[in-house]
Amino acid sequence: MSKRIIGKDFKKVDARDKVTGKALYTRDIYFDDMLYMKVKRAPFPHAYLRKLNTDKAESLAGVVKIITAEDYPDLNKYGLIYKDQPVLIGIGEKMHYMGDPLAIVIAETEETAKRACELIEVEVEELEVVTDPLQALKKDAPVIHEELSGLLTDRLDKKLNPANILCDHYLEKGNVEEGFARADKIFEREYKTQHIDQLPLQSEAGVGLYDEDTGTVKIWAATQWLHDTQADVAQSLGLPKEKIRIIQPTIGGAFGKKEDISVHIHLALAILATKRPVKFSYTRKGSMITQSKRHPLIIRHKTGVANDGFLTAWQTEVIGDVGAYASSSPAVVHKGLYHCTGPYNVANVRGVSYAVYTNNTFTGAMRGFGTAQMAFSYDSQMDLMAAELGIDPAHFRLQNAYEIGSSTPNGQILTRSVNVRKTIKEVLAMTEGGK
Amino acid sequence: MKITLTVNDEKREVETSPTTRLLDILRDDLHFTGTKEGCGKGECGACTVIMNGKLVSSCLVLALQADGAEILTIEGLSKGDQLHPVQEAYIETGAVQCGFCTPGMILASKSLLDRIPDPDEQQIKRGLSGNICRCTGYTKIIEAVKLSARKLAGKGGEEDE
Repeated sequence: MSKRIIGKDFKKVDARDKVTGKALYTRDIYFDDMLYMKVKRAPFPHAYLRKLNTDKAESLAGVVKIITAEDYPDLNKYGLIYKDQPVLIGIGEKMHYMGDPLAIVIAETEETAKRACELIEVEVEELEVVTDPLQALKKDAPVIHEELSGLLTDRLDKKLNPANILCDHYLEKGNVEEGFARADKIFEREYKTQHIDQLPLQSEAGVGLYDEDTGTVKIWAATQWLHDTQADVAQSLGLPKEKIRIIQPTIGGAFGKKEDISVHIHLALAILATKRPVKFSYTRKGSMITQSKRHPLIIRHKTGVANDGFLTAWQTEVIGDVGAYASSSPAVVHKGLYHCTGPYNVANVRGVSYAVYTNNTFTGAMRGFGTAQMAFSYDSQMDLMAAELGIDPAHFRLQNAYEIGSSTPNGQILTRSVNVRKTIKEVLAMTEGGK
Repeated sequence: MKITLTVNDEKREVETSPTTRLLDILRDDLHFTGTKEGCGKGECGACTVIMNGKLVSSCLVLALQADGAEILTIEGLSKGDQLHPVQEAYIETGAVQCGFCTPGMILASKSLLDRIPDPDEQQIKRGLSGNICRCTGYTKIIEAVKLSARKLAGKGGEEDE
């Protein structure tokens, strides 16, 4: 019997549990004596926290505990690639977006926790809000993070404001000046994309307890990076990794949104503070305000084409809206840049990308990791160029498309599985374009 | 306050408050956790149940409205180990991915097939228009409803795939 699996139909192993409602997702897990928690979030996207009064909230019947930064002064920042996200905003510290956490409220019921959050009095000193990365790049723009990013390179353009840049990346292949000199026509265009929420149907949730025997915090919560989540929770709390256990229940969709820490650290704090089981569920609105989005990218392409229809040079600038915290931005914006020419041969390429902080909700991973935005831009560029040159867009693509031996903008030589020409030909054969 | 409701053919009494949602009664009090919360605003259909024969978003039904009602949740669809034909069809067509929309989607499919035993594609789309799926792109789900219709008509359907 053949052991080949690919190309055969199999029933999904957990489908039966899912069609009968037996599959356990995070919120389906209940413990006796379980408490519920909510997090009080920032009332303004860019502001100093001046006062936080929890007296009224604490006196509400059913409230068990309220935790603020004052209770845990030694918490470390967290993040997937660059640790710039605070666990709790303390008095005198700055909030950078509407999802920033000010206090953790633990209560006997979810409703009580929610009402107690509303009773917390917050005083802030509002600062100018920056929502446009182009504004953030200007020298006179308000500074979002007080510390300079540790990811900046020496090559950074001196005309830009380094205070609001998380990272810069560069691409150089061949000689772009020579390439443009050989071009008969040069096209310069700017493309913009918008925020998109990944919107998995299950919003973020966690449930956990303190295991007295081992002194371990056990958390059931969906994550796309089980071990990274465990390590990040541990380092933020200053605990050894073996004191944090993350258990993956059935996941109700993720699409990149569950790569980041969400409920995990706050839940661990609540469990440690009460030594009781605690459940923490985001509302859909909370999920949308607090957790990552697909990056809005500003993409500027300058492309040189010779009269024979071959691409001679391609120059790209990418500006990515990071929002308030790094998340996967250093990788996503960089990866977008690497795909700037799409599947088309160009011998001479130059590129630069900037991941730029704003006071928007942070951006992170979503299906394609920066390449979906780039695909929209390079294929729009190809269409617009074909239209202006009066040539067939499909054949323009076919003429320039990758084949075995082609090299990508970052110099990778493609040695196998390069089917773009075959794909274009098959699509043409299937459509009227093949006429 | 106390309400009485019949869930999956079993009469239940629940001590609750007037503002509690049917969704919370089903999940937190009675532990029918197959009913999911996706948005809490009646937009996504993950919390769909059948109440008095009609499809409802249980996040939009308050305790008082559910007093005396007959409710069918996903847990009540199969009889023992015997899956309902719609459940079988969802498994066989690969219409289940993350599964979070699946209970609501299956109940919406059943409700549609109760009214229209042999729906065309437009009727299927309209019948499922209150339920959002973020994984499948709906193609397999529509196939599942078509297969369900054949199964319910006694045609088995396996040979058609």
